[in-house]
Amino acid sequence: MNPSISAAERLARIQLNAFLYFRADWLERLIEIFGSAQEILRQDAQTLAREANLNPSTAAHLLRDAFAINPQEEWDKTAALGGHIYVPEDEEYPQSLRNIKEAPIALYVLGRLPAPEQACVGMVGTRKITPYGRRAAAKLASDLAQGGVVVVSGLARGVDSECHAAAVRQKKPTVAAIGTGVGRCYPPENRALEKAILQYGGAVVSELPFNKPPNAFHFPRRNRIIAALSQPVVVVEGEIKSGALITAKLALEMGKDVLAVPGPIDSPQSAGPNALIRDGAGVVTAASDILDYIPQQLRFGLDPHFLQKEDQTPPKPQEELTPRQREVMNAVGGSQASLDQIAEALGADVPEAASLLFELEVKGFLACENGLYSKSKF
Amino acid sequence: MLANVCTGAIKGIEGFAVSVEVDIAAGMPTLAVVGLPDAEVRESKERVVAAVRNSGFDFPSKRITVNLSPAELRKSGTQFDLPIALGILAASGQLSAEACAKISHFLVLGELALDGSLRPCAGVLPMLISCQKLDKTAVIAPQNVLEGQVSGAPFITPHSLRELADYLEGKLEEPAVKMAYVPQAQEEISPELDFSDVKGQALAKRALEIAAAGGHNLLMIGLPGTGKSMLAKRFPGILPPLTQEEALEITKIYSICNLMGKSRLLTRRPFRDPHHTISDVALIGGGSTPRPGEVSLAHNGVLFLDEFAEFSRSSLEVLREPLENGRVTISRAKETVTYPARFTLLAAMNPCPCGHLGDPVTPCTCSPMQISRYKARLSGPLLDRIDLTVNLNPVKYTDWNQKSEGETSAQIRARVLQARQVQQQRFAGSSTTANAFMTNREIKEFCPLPPGADTILETAMRKFGLSARSLDKILKTARTIADLEGKENIETKHLVEVMQYRPLDRKGVADL
Repeated sequence: MNPSISAAERLARIQLNAFLYFRADWLERLIEIFGSAQEILRQDAQTLAREANLNPSTAAHLLRDAFAINPQEEWDKTAALGGHIYVPEDEEYPQSLRNIKEAPIALYVLGRLPAPEQACVGMVGTRKITPYGRRAAAKLASDLAQGGVVVVSGLARGVDSECHAAAVRQKKPTVAAIGTGVGRCYPPENRALEKAILQYGGAVVSELPFNKPPNAFHFPRRNRIIAALSQPVVVVEGEIKSGALITAKLALEMGKDVLAVPGPIDSPQSAGPNALIRDGAGVVTAASDILDYIPQQLRFGLDPHFLQKEDQTPPKPQEELTPRQREVMNAVGGSQASLDQIAEALGADVPEAASLLFELEVKGFLACENGLYSKSKF
Repeated sequence: MLANVCTGAIKGIEGFAVSVEVDIAAGMPTLAVVGLPDAEVRESKERVVAAVRNSGFDFPSKRITVNLSPAELRKSGTQFDLPIALGILAASGQLSAEACAKISHFLVLGELALDGSLRPCAGVLPMLISCQKLDKTAVIAPQNVLEGQVSGAPFITPHSLRELADYLEGKLEEPAVKMAYVPQAQEEISPELDFSDVKGQALAKRALEIAAAGGHNLLMIGLPGTGKSMLAKRFPGILPPLTQEEALEITKIYSICNLMGKSRLLTRRPFRDPHHTISDVALIGGGSTPRPGEVSLAHNGVLFLDEFAEFSRSSLEVLREPLENGRVTISRAKETVTYPARFTLLAAMNPCPCGHLGDPVTPCTCSPMQISRYKARLSGPLLDRIDLTVNLNPVKYTDWNQKSEGETSAQIRARVLQARQVQQQRFAGSSTTANAFMTNREIKEFCPLPPGADTILETAMRKFGLSARSLDKILKTARTIADLEGKENIETKHLVEVMQYRPLDRKGVADL
């Protein structure tokens, strides 16, 4: 904590931060004009509007939102979860975030933020994940995490959850920048995942007031936090108009590298990354492709074993599978297949196909979604 | 003068005898009906007055009181017209003493047209069956003759009030008592709906076979046009034939609802497919005068709910009682009636609101939120009563065009019958009729786990997010699969197959 900033001023900043309809850099401009956040909160709406050249209704809105929260309570509740609220003046406030134009004036952090010399890679993508996206996200995030890279994502459904989960399965830290206030888990089914992230030394960060419910406009804002914390940013899957591509655009504006995982040309979820590649984004087919974009000074301490090129190594032989099970894997191929299709390819009846699929699913070779089976690993 | 005519009324699906007492006294000319008559019974006054006049009799200009006894039970239906008219004729002295004496041998049921001719009424079959012990000859409309034949009771079918009066007076020999017996071929499963018509969909067919064999409820999830309705329509064809009691039970319900059509005894299992905009009362039964709903019309048969998730939340929740108990109890301030409703629920729904989730051709346009909200419309307690869930995927052209026909309904039905026989022996002396209805104690007794099954179930619970509560369903379904194979005990492979029918349990959350 930086002693140059008084406790009262810190609380005032937290209070000011509750006004969500303003860009953070505008709030900073206000603080410059009035000298401190405390001073802003002492004004009435009219003076505020006049001095800062604001629309009077905006000024009134700002004060209303700011006084709607109790900063001491925010502080206490965050502390009760073992978290902190940092302001940019604090040493702990991430340097990479401080550098951007719209650095949040208050950042709620649960868990442990990665050290400044830690390599962080952003992985983003659609909530409507395909089995292919699931495989790609899990494989890349798992390799990165084992290689010592911190995966940064947004804890949303789909690609985000898959990336965090892959890191957590390796018991490695990962950072989630969320679109709700800390203390609230969205989507709710990710509560266990959030807990695991904190358990394995990761962090959950948000600039929104404590326990703030999700709102559509929160998510593009938190995307800039993901982009700011990462270098490079990898887009796994996403439609042309998607949050993932917003993140990519923000990352480019911040001067970060954007990489994309190529996908089938007829899959809407791969249209985004494919378009990025067409526009010059780097292609990711393995974790090693990502390694090349991690800044030189951050590569120290990474475990190259997991991030090496694998082009020469043949695909992992499924040696533990029986011939019949291997036939099933071949029938599924690179796409999705229903039990009917698999049974037909094998010349098996429903009970036999069912038992083969059950074994393969339990062993983790196949995943089933909406009655369609697809490979769950490369 | 006083006259007494015997007739019947309906409570629930059972009939009871009602005696119509007619008193004619001097006073202001009125016709009052007392004894808890419903609206349609009160309206019968107007029909009776016209019918008596138009049959060539005089309508007495006196004070007429009609009492329907037992007076504390509500009476509804139109069958009171003829007994009231007959009572008035007897009480006003327009029938001879011999004719009046004969009236007590008859159970009179019929609606009257204004010209005095007889019209059919609803619920004749249950009334005749319940009143058999009274040992009376029934008087029914010619259109109700089929129901009369089913009941086994002696009956006559006069065409009009006049004809009945003439018969009582001895002027007519026997008014159409010996109705020409209309021979009726035993209705069989219609050959135009056969399982071999449905190409591909082996998994869904297998699930339907299991559902038929064990009485399990089934949910089909699939893209539009994958054959959900087609399969459902063929489902009754693989069910075992109705037993005599079952047939009589459903025929009674259909008789009450006036849905008999041209059939004498319903020999085919009912298949009801109400639209998803149906009201709760139409589905479950009820109304101010309680009537059976779709669940009771599907008794001993199939209730097919297409677009399952589009049904109103309350309609789906009211299904829970019949699914659990096999009957519906409707309580009103004045009475409580119980209708049987033991049916197999076949439900079908799209995988998402737009219908294209998992479609290889058209991409789905729903947001993940919309999809989870759509699935959340089916509450846990309701899904707990559905043992089998199966996903249907589009059929490939090669399947559709395949030369070899799939199995016919008759082949599948033969296996179903065998499995049902095994169950009959198993549940002899118990009220349970099929595996799906086993009690906890019966599950313990008849579904011992094979060695090594613990690991499978534990893995399944972890991997697929199965709840402990769904274990019972898994055991019941595995029992049915074992029965289909003629196996004494449940084997591991049976349990493994059941896992295919539980897709809704699989969680959409990444494994940790």
